[in-house]
Amino acid sequence: MRLWEETDDGAPGTVPEATTERRRYRGPPRRAAAPMLIQTLNGLVYGGLLYVLAVGLVLIFGLRRVVNFAHGSLYMVGAYVGYTVTAVAGFWVGIVVAVLVLTGIGVILDRLVFRPLQDEDPIVTMLVTFGLLLVLEDAVRTIWGKDFLTVQPPPLLAGVVHLTGTSFPVYRLAVIGAAILVAIGLSLWLRMSRVGLYVRASSVDPLTTGMQGVDTEFLSATVVAIGSGLAGLSGTISAPLVALSPSMGGSILIDSFVVVVTGGLGSFTGAFIAAMLIGQVHNLGVVFVPGAASMIPLVLMVLVLIWRPGGLVKAGA
Amino acid sequence: MTLLSLRNVDAYYGRAQILHDVSVEIAAGERVAILGRNGVGKTTIVNACLGVASVHRGQIAFGGRAVSTIRHFTAARAGIAVVPQGRRIVPGLTVKENLLLGGAVNRKGAWTIDTVFELFPMLRERTEMAGTALSGGQQQMLAIGRALMANPDLLVLDEPSEGLAPVIVDGLADTLRDLAASGTAILLIEQNFGLVHRVAERYYLLSKGAIVETGWLAGLSMETLKKHVAV
Repeated sequence: MRLWEETDDGAPGTVPEATTERRRYRGPPRRAAAPMLIQTLNGLVYGGLLYVLAVGLVLIFGLRRVVNFAHGSLYMVGAYVGYTVTAVAGFWVGIVVAVLVLTGIGVILDRLVFRPLQDEDPIVTMLVTFGLLLVLEDAVRTIWGKDFLTVQPPPLLAGVVHLTGTSFPVYRLAVIGAAILVAIGLSLWLRMSRVGLYVRASSVDPLTTGMQGVDTEFLSATVVAIGSGLAGLSGTISAPLVALSPSMGGSILIDSFVVVVTGGLGSFTGAFIAAMLIGQVHNLGVVFVPGAASMIPLVLMVLVLIWRPGGLVKAGA
Repeated sequence: MTLLSLRNVDAYYGRAQILHDVSVEIAAGERVAILGRNGVGKTTIVNACLGVASVHRGQIAFGGRAVSTIRHFTAARAGIAVVPQGRRIVPGLTVKENLLLGGAVNRKGAWTIDTVFELFPMLRERTEMAGTALSGGQQQMLAIGRALMANPDLLVLDEPSEGLAPVIVDGLADTLRDLAASGTAILLIEQNFGLVHRVAERYYLLSKGAIVETGWLAGLSMETLKKHVAV
């Protein structure tokens, strides 16, 4: 999320219209004086992206007990696939194709990596997924090159809205909306559907869930596919906000792990609360203590774990 | 019709052999007990049927069909529901959700969430409570209710009296006899002979991972019982 931290006002993104308009009507950038509302919204944007990415990690960890270091790479591949398809068929098709491609990659990952390694020592799976991260980064470097790439938001979401005397890009509001939709959709799926019930049950007690007749292997494969698809979605919707580079998955992956651990391993609700919290503290850190911004989520995680060693919300809640 | 059969089964946890040449058979409508002290391998018989313990020799058949690869869900789909040791109420799920989970196998039959509530009215009053917040006796009712939601032909109960007050065990015995009377076969894995005596008609006696005696409960001598089971 390099550009996020480098923009004049601490806001994520490089939406030209927004920048131009702000400079024309509001004078020079004022990092410290930026309205609190805008900073809060920026925090929500980052928190939303983190949630969409981290909830995939939570799903995969819950069902497969795998700490997936390759998840950041899936996010990065999603962004690149979105970039290529957007150039050919437009942004919306790009989102759909990226999610489908990453869902497919998730199925393959589960079949070839997670499932065969599920009874191995966790360190083996961690090393394998870390290796995958490196392989995927190199593959992307080979296919798309190492230069930064940018994606413009779709024309429908390219403008700005005026909020309390300052402007804010519509696209970033749309990202918040997308994260809320994902949160509501996942929550409804997990709470209201039979499959969601099995996912929640299997994430805390796969044996008992299997004993009731649920094929937990198939369920886990499905969930890994959904988690990977969400990483793809997160990568695609973040593409207009950041510069695409093969290493873009690394930094957000760390924050995603912080979200998962702070929220409580395997907790969907915890992931949402933690993502929003970390989005806010990360963004405030970028504005007020830019030198220590990347440390602040880690400090928050440590404080939460001292207070509640299991994270904010227990798994299954 | 034979609902469950183990023939000459050797079962292992990793490299440790727990069951030695175990053969057990339960037919439709039967009430059978597997008796034995702690640690003799009673639960391993259940775990072999659930794919938790690995079977290196012998054969397990559900509903008369031999199964080569046993997965956790295989028994449930063949009409065998398990009330596991320690109940294993799923944390984070309400009473109702735990029951709905039991219906995952989607077999047709008389048991629905309403009929389970008729059998255990106290569950109806606590539908939205976390299952793990119930008392031990109530959790046992929930575990049995969850198993019944699968409309099983055979109900396997692993140490159901563990940790329960005697008065609750009496109620449990009545419930199991009623279930058996309605045609559900019962496999009771227990060391509480009082419960076994009230429920089962046939027994297998397990010692050091091997069946050492089998027969009708009426013919089980006190001497054998004292030797192999705590009474």
